[in-house]
Amino acid sequence: MGAILSIAKTTIGEAIRRRVLLVILLVGVLFLVIAPGLSVLSLRQNYTVLTSFTLGVIQLTSAVIAIVLTVYLLPNEVERRTIYTILSKPVYRWHFLLGKYLGAVGALGMMMLLMSTVLVLVFRIMQQQASMDDVLQLATAPIFFFVQMSLLAAVAMFFSTFVSPIVNFFLSGGVYLVGTLFSPVFQDLSNNQTLPAAVKGAATVIHSIVPNFAQYNIQGGIINQGPELRSIELYYVQIVVYALFYIAAFLIAGMMIFDRKEV
Amino acid sequence: MNLAIETKDLTKTYKTSSGPQSVVKNLDLQVERGEIFGFLGPNGAGKTTTIKILLGIIDSTSGEASVLGNPAGDIESHKKLSYLPEKPYYYEHMTGVEIMQFYASLFGIKDRDLCERLLNRVNLGNDMNRPISQYSKGMQQRIGLAQSLLNDPELLFLDEPTGGLDPIAHIEIRDLILKFRDEGRTVFISSHELSDVERICDRVAIINKGELVHQGRLDQLLSGGRIEITADNLTEEIANKFRGDDFTVSFKNGRLIADIPDSAHPGEMLDAIRAANGDIVSVIPRRKRLEDLFLESVAGDNVLKGRKMSKMTDDHNAAEAVEVTTEEGAN
Repeated sequence: MGAILSIAKTTIGEAIRRRVLLVILLVGVLFLVIAPGLSVLSLRQNYTVLTSFTLGVIQLTSAVIAIVLTVYLLPNEVERRTIYTILSKPVYRWHFLLGKYLGAVGALGMMMLLMSTVLVLVFRIMQQQASMDDVLQLATAPIFFFVQMSLLAAVAMFFSTFVSPIVNFFLSGGVYLVGTLFSPVFQDLSNNQTLPAAVKGAATVIHSIVPNFAQYNIQGGIINQGPELRSIELYYVQIVVYALFYIAAFLIAGMMIFDRKEV
Repeated sequence: MNLAIETKDLTKTYKTSSGPQSVVKNLDLQVERGEIFGFLGPNGAGKTTTIKILLGIIDSTSGEASVLGNPAGDIESHKKLSYLPEKPYYYEHMTGVEIMQFYASLFGIKDRDLCERLLNRVNLGNDMNRPISQYSKGMQQRIGLAQSLLNDPELLFLDEPTGGLDPIAHIEIRDLILKFRDEGRTVFISSHELSDVERICDRVAIINKGELVHQGRLDQLLSGGRIEITADNLTEEIANKFRGDDFTVSFKNGRLIADIPDSAHPGEMLDAIRAANGDIVSVIPRRKRLEDLFLESVAGDNVLKGRKMSKMTDDHNAAEAVEVTTEEGAN
């Protein structure tokens, strides 16, 4: 366990100093800060526009950071030969992979915490009539984005055990887009009794393999408060367990491939 | 025999678009405990692949490899060995002592004093709190050696430990390696620095295109030097008497230059020169060097062909120079 945590800690230290990630983070924070100015354009539904825009910025920025951060983790270690020094110590490969993943998630968490803090500050300043409850509810969305991004990082980590960083970037990005935009569609298709069995079967397979990223977008309920956010605790527990299951599955599959990989 | 490393018929084959390609072929190595073992070969000979197999980073296609009595890659062996790769990279945001603590933690060691002691041992005591990004190449190599001592290893794998270092850093690293042997550790060095290997290694193995060409004690491998005899005032008839299979003899204007093996009784040749009223100009014994053995071992390679070609060109230029001088003298 000590080796895993040491590798994770070192990975965080490296990641938070990577210029490309800091630039992406800076752009995200910049958009959060200027967001109130942009929402002035919409005279009606000021709160709705601001919330939607800022949460969208956090989600998009986090997704880009999660992918860019993770796709290079293993290839960089091989290219710089640091992996050889580490694997010649009494460290199993799965220790290494898990440590790198935890480090990536840790660094991602720190960056998302920064953006969430900026988000809360912007809302406290711009929406002074908003209650503390409103702000806390708003801050819930980035927490589930974090769960979503941890799942995305596991997907990217899995692909990084056998494809190049560039291919991984598009693969992981593609899985994220499909899982975010089309997962509800595949779910509906797999439950539709009127469709042919082959179509239903294909939809079920895709829905099972591609994680459902869409379910972590809880901002819809925050923006347009409606019936779907009632009795929410059970839903939250379910989607967190779902994420943990998929993260474990992707990491175990990645470890099995990485264990046989010639580095 | 008490072996630190042993391989039998070790083979590594990769599938390529042009068919299977063996990078290591039927390699039989024996490295004894407590010795400095030089592992030599030209680029692409299979040295790094062999080291990776011994460390368990890649698997062999066939054959056996054992390290410290365990199969290669066994995690128990990893507790007792260390590896310093060629041109190592360290996380640049960390300081010297932080890097040491990181590698120590991989062994479950949480002893800052040990890290500092080892940094002092490699003369980095005053720089331990500086970021690695500010370290010179030599300092990075020294911290590499320091981290390789964290687990008090019985066996060290050093891949090009002196490559690209300035002469002072070079000597420092070489001295450290000699101290490792004095402490009873086994050191396995892969290097192109033949003068270093010749100076510090007890035994060497030379591989070429994945195959073992030579293995043994340096003094045995380098036995059989040559002697160069130069004499004046001789006739060509006398010079022809000295021509033989392993003799290189040249004769011009009464001067004989003979290059003979030291086992060829040079005394008899010298007596014959004196008997013919020749003047002995010089008798120069030349010890066989590791470089000679290395070049013999990789004979047929482009490197050697290039070298021979270069030598021939030099000789040709020298001959032309002599002719010009003679003509000028005649004029």
